[in-house]
Amino acid sequence: MFARIVGQSFARNPRRKMLTVAALVVGMAVATATLTIALEVGDRMAREFRSLGANLLVTPQSDTLPLEIGGVDYRPVDEGAYLQESELGKLKTIFWRHNILGFTPFLDVPTQLAGSRVTDTTLIGTWYEHDVPVPDGTTFKTGLGTTHPSWRIRGRWFRDGANEAVVGMTLAARDPEAFAIGKKIQVTHSDGVSSAASLEVTGIASTGGAEDNAILVPLSFVQAYSGHHGQFRQLYVSALTKPADALADRDPKSLTSAEYDRWFCSPYISSISYQIEQVIPGIDVRAIRRVAETEGRILSRVSTLLWIVTLAALIAAGLAVAATSAAAVLERRIEIGVMKAIGATNTAVTALFLTEHLTLALIGGAIGFLFGAGLARFLGASVFGTPASPRIILLPVVLGLAALVALIGGLIPLRRAARFDPAPILRGE
Amino acid sequence: MATLVQIENLRKEFGNVRALDGVTFSVESGEWIAIMGPSGSGKTTLINILGGLDTPTSGQAVVDGTDVARLDEAGLTRFRAEKIGFVFQQFHLVQYLTALENVMLAQYFHSTTDEGEARVALERVGLADRIDHLPSELSGGEQQRVAVARALINQPKLILADEPTGNLDEANEQIVLRLFRELHTEGHTILMVTHAHSIGELADRRIDLAHGRLAHKV
Ligand SMILES: Nc1ncnc2c1ncn2[C@@H]1O[C@H](COP(=O)(O)OP(=O)(O)OP(=O)(O)O)[C@@H](O)[C@H]1O
Ligand SMILES: [Mg+2]
Repeated sequence: MFARIVGQSFARNPRRKMLTVAALVVGMAVATATLTIALEVGDRMAREFRSLGANLLVTPQSDTLPLEIGGVDYRPVDEGAYLQESELGKLKTIFWRHNILGFTPFLDVPTQLAGSRVTDTTLIGTWYEHDVPVPDGTTFKTGLGTTHPSWRIRGRWFRDGANEAVVGMTLAARDPEAFAIGKKIQVTHSDGVSSAASLEVTGIASTGGAEDNAILVPLSFVQAYSGHHGQFRQLYVSALTKPADALADRDPKSLTSAEYDRWFCSPYISSISYQIEQVIPGIDVRAIRRVAETEGRILSRVSTLLWIVTLAALIAAGLAVAATSAAAVLERRIEIGVMKAIGATNTAVTALFLTEHLTLALIGGAIGFLFGAGLARFLGASVFGTPASPRIILLPVVLGLAALVALIGGLIPLRRAARFDPAPILRGE
Repeated sequence: MATLVQIENLRKEFGNVRALDGVTFSVESGEWIAIMGPSGSGKTTLINILGGLDTPTSGQAVVDGTDVARLDEAGLTRFRAEKIGFVFQQFHLVQYLTALENVMLAQYFHSTTDEGEARVALERVGLADRIDHLPSELSGGEQQRVAVARALINQPKLILADEPTGNLDEANEQIVLRLFRELHTEGHTILMVTHAHSIGELADRRIDLAHGRLAHKV
């Protein structure tokens, strides 16, 4: 009977509900559009940041400045400090471990080549795809593919641990014969004493940096070659971070404990750096500034703005629902009075009206979602140049919000209505 | 016959208006009482208190062993659902429900619905062919008969009718009155407010109110 009463109220009196539905449709359309755009912004930001690769550089604290000319490091191999490869797994144990998308160690050593017009160059030992053991027993696959996605390769990358090499583009151009893919190159130790090793060229890399003038080989090779077993000199970390705001740039020591908690639990570059320094002592972590960071800042402000607009739309819809249901309740006083006169409890009356409201919310929410998805396409097209695709995942969210708005907006007038004293109403006052 | 309604020194004040000013009377089970008196004499107030729609300022109003003056809001609601059948001058049907649904609404608030029983009640008031009509599709007399069916559906102890024919034309008034007469013959206890002496004559007894007091008792 309950469903029948509510159903008939809708079927036979749809006009009365129009205003409430209209308020919900408008509110939910705006909320859907802004939420869709906000999600789109978030996605775009994440994607952009990920594609940029490494944004943190980790070096030993006491390291001397690299003496590097044209991609060749002229520092003696034994000078400067090194980091332990075995500690890298700890990066996946920090609070923001899931935001550590990848990291790649580098160890470079000057070398001399035999059988080529180029004699002096640098061997850079690194990972392309390497399995790092994590203290929790799992392994984490990472390397240049994640941290340096902009590097281009002709041919293929070296296999981890194999005697293979990828030659930098500029270097390769200096002796195309010797550095052709498939050719072997002979390296001798710069002391001229150590035995030569033979490496097969598997690809030519274009990095846009000093590496174009060097030879990239598996880290393990350079470690063995230089006698720095298990060590490296630099680590590039790619971390998903939140653009800096006022809190991010504060000195952690000056924060109150609540601020500290908030700072620690936000994926700022500064807090992630701090957490890395905590697990691997004796290091310096520096942020590598990226052009897109400012853009990220703007986008994050846009998304804050969108959340505020969403909230405002919901509040406005709630107020509109409150106003229309107050009017509807006045219109229906007699009906409420009659129900109470024939024995309806306040709860029964409230339940009937709340159910009507929830139904209104679902209708208004669903229609609003459709309008909102259209609006988002349009807004997306004008803001980003490509329409924001509708997100079905928002449908239950929007319906839930509509229900919440309808309930909160309707609750006060409905509760008051349920408490109406029936006698004066039925008397016609 | 057992006493169904016992009213003792009943008073009701609205601010400084004395709607009822010390009314005492009793009604036997199965009686048909006409409550008469000029406008503003307190008839509706009396009916509302007996029906648990309003509470007295002082005095007693015992209906079927329950003193309504002592019930709290929830108690009054239950009392209305179980013991009272109301018939109003303005019919007061729910406009978006059919005749049948209006009757079932009373069943629903009382306990559970029984469509068959509701149909029988409507047949009983002569509306077998109007069961699925909305109030807006019914004449005043037909609407009032739906209201009577609704009032009867839960077998109330007491039927309270406040000028049930006040909004009806002569012909419909006769139909509704015939219905009340039948209810009376079946043993229902009826308190009916009316302005018309001709209707007052049909009742077993008249209670005349003037300025909230009993003016005359037959
Ligand atoms: N809620 C109220 N607030 C203030 N005064 C009221 C209220 N209800 C009734 N009264 C007053 O109480 C008195 C009795 O009213 P009541 O409605 O009982 O009269 P009545 O006999 O039914 O009149 P009528 O024949 O016009 O229906 C009147 O003076 C009326 O104005
Ligand atoms: Mg009256």
